[in-house]
Amino acid sequence: MNSRVVAAFAQKDIVDAIRNRYLLGALLTPVFVAVLLRILLPGISSLNFTVVVHDPGNSRLVSELRATPQMKLITAASAADVAKEVETSKAVGGLAIPADFDADIAAGKQPELVVYVNNKQNDIEQAMFRQLMERQFLALVQERLPAHLTWIDVNKEARAESPAFNLNQMLLPLLLLLTFAMAGALVVPLLLVEEKEKRTLDFLLTSPASLTEIIAGKALTGVVYSFLIAGILLAVNYKLIGNWPLTLLTVLVGGLFVVAIGLFMGALFENTMQVNTWASGVLFVLLAPSFPSLRLPVMLERALHLIPTHYFVEALRLSLAGTPSARFWGYISVVLASTVVAFAAAIWALRRQQN
Amino acid sequence: MNAIEVEGLSRTFNSRRAVDDISFTVEAGEIFGFLGHNGAGKTTSIRMLTGQLRPTSGHARVAGCDVITEQRRLKPLIGVVSEHQNLYERMSARENLTFAARLYGTNTNRIDEALDQVGLLDRADDNVQQYSNGMKQRLLIARSLLHHPQIIFLDEPTRGLDPIVGRDIRRLVQDLSREGITVFLTTHYMEEADQLCNRIAFISAGKIVALDTPDNLKMAHGQKSLQVRLKDGQRLMIPLDDQDSGEKIKQLVTSGQIRTLHSAEATLEEVFIQITGRKLTE
Repeated sequence: MNSRVVAAFAQKDIVDAIRNRYLLGALLTPVFVAVLLRILLPGISSLNFTVVVHDPGNSRLVSELRATPQMKLITAASAADVAKEVETSKAVGGLAIPADFDADIAAGKQPELVVYVNNKQNDIEQAMFRQLMERQFLALVQERLPAHLTWIDVNKEARAESPAFNLNQMLLPLLLLLTFAMAGALVVPLLLVEEKEKRTLDFLLTSPASLTEIIAGKALTGVVYSFLIAGILLAVNYKLIGNWPLTLLTVLVGGLFVVAIGLFMGALFENTMQVNTWASGVLFVLLAPSFPSLRLPVMLERALHLIPTHYFVEALRLSLAGTPSARFWGYISVVLASTVVAFAAAIWALRRQQN
Repeated sequence: MNAIEVEGLSRTFNSRRAVDDISFTVEAGEIFGFLGHNGAGKTTSIRMLTGQLRPTSGHARVAGCDVITEQRRLKPLIGVVSEHQNLYERMSARENLTFAARLYGTNTNRIDEALDQVGLLDRADDNVQQYSNGMKQRLLIARSLLHHPQIIFLDEPTRGLDPIVGRDIRRLVQDLSREGITVFLTTHYMEEADQLCNRIAFISAGKIVALDTPDNLKMAHGQKSLQVRLKDGQRLMIPLDDQDSGEKIKQLVTSGQIRTLHSAEATLEEVFIQITGRKLTE
């Protein structure tokens, strides 16, 4: 394979994709989605809850909240001041806790806990706050000891070895997969199909470029765009990454897999309309394993395991959490093997068309 | 020396024989015309000779290279102008040629020379989208010449062009031939083939049904006679094979009755119809 020829293809296509408004739109979609999520879900994306408390009895509930990461507590001088302080400090909510709150719970009574919710904050942030309070309070009642919150996962095997994630860690795999899907499974097949539609593939086939070099050039374009945008997403979310080398490896393998799928689609389809018609279905299937908490029927959950991106998402979650294990390498192997199969299928399909 | 040697070349699509056992040679520096109806097998033949399509059977050597086993060596030696204007339209002419130069490993200094050769140097940085059909066709030719090929395949190079641009392209083809480049030309225009080609092959239903120089084809299939129009409006056909034809012509000339005098040889179009039973444009 001649690297000069492959680089020539990639350079041409990288520039061409920017000049094509449709392709440029597809490439920028993950960035738009990421920005949109940041704008619409500021509370979730930052997970920084500001809560006003009046707690004259130094309750365990407030101790627990104080120990919760990203929870900022502001103390109010009196119960009457809580609502006012919530408004002025733009907190998501506030708590007015009676002085003998812990003692009443211990005695089996039902003390009154007043929770203020700031309706000026966005709905999702309010909902998250409500959910958090209910959970904290429930935990306090049911588990008097130990003093800190103990989270117990039911059906833990369903989550494999993935640790608990905050919403950002759930969304990052989705955004990365969306990036790969747009650059790999949409832009790459469109670039390849356009060569067929405009008959420029005929020119390429009469040039010294081999079919393998043509495919490698297209793949390189997809890879460059996938990794450029994925790099931006990772850089912006660098705090979420527990293990950089494994995360980068996962992103590399995942990106290559989706690009290979794109090449196969490009080899199979004859025109832009066919790609556009089928791409939405293919993108949905590729993205499905990254949707957080789908709570699907068992059969569908099992079906998701047939999609190689399921293993990409699992590997990515492990690498983000910084908890590598044998399972991580198993997942990576599945994605890698799927990549090789997809590349081989793309070359086979193009050769078949040529002859 | 032969630039192209074809021996029993065939190509079947499913059960249909698109090209059926064709054999011919093209000499180096020759302009060789390949004429036939739509679907006669012209483009399939070009695709096989340029390494885009594998023959079902038979052999072909182009520029001394086997078209099946020596494609790597063959491709830098040929240039192809497709019947479709297959250019990258969001790129400029210069960018199109720069990309082609990188594929062929050609020095990019050659780009301006090639653009100048086809008269596009002053529009080199314009997007191809803004080009007229004639300009696109000239750019295609520049691209095919960029790497100094020995043989150039031109598939309908003047189709859809206005007569002046068509004439420019024909001049360019003649210049290429003078420079020693072998030209393999397919065209629908019989006058063009007649004017340009050293030899012509007629292909019909995948088979070569005639192959000779334009003159020989016309002589072999046309009438050997003179068409005379007299001043009184009368038209006469005088067969040249007759023993007394010389005397008849002499009489008419000396009597001053002749208004016009033409040879009545067949046109290539008439020869084509005679051989294939159809018009070329059908």
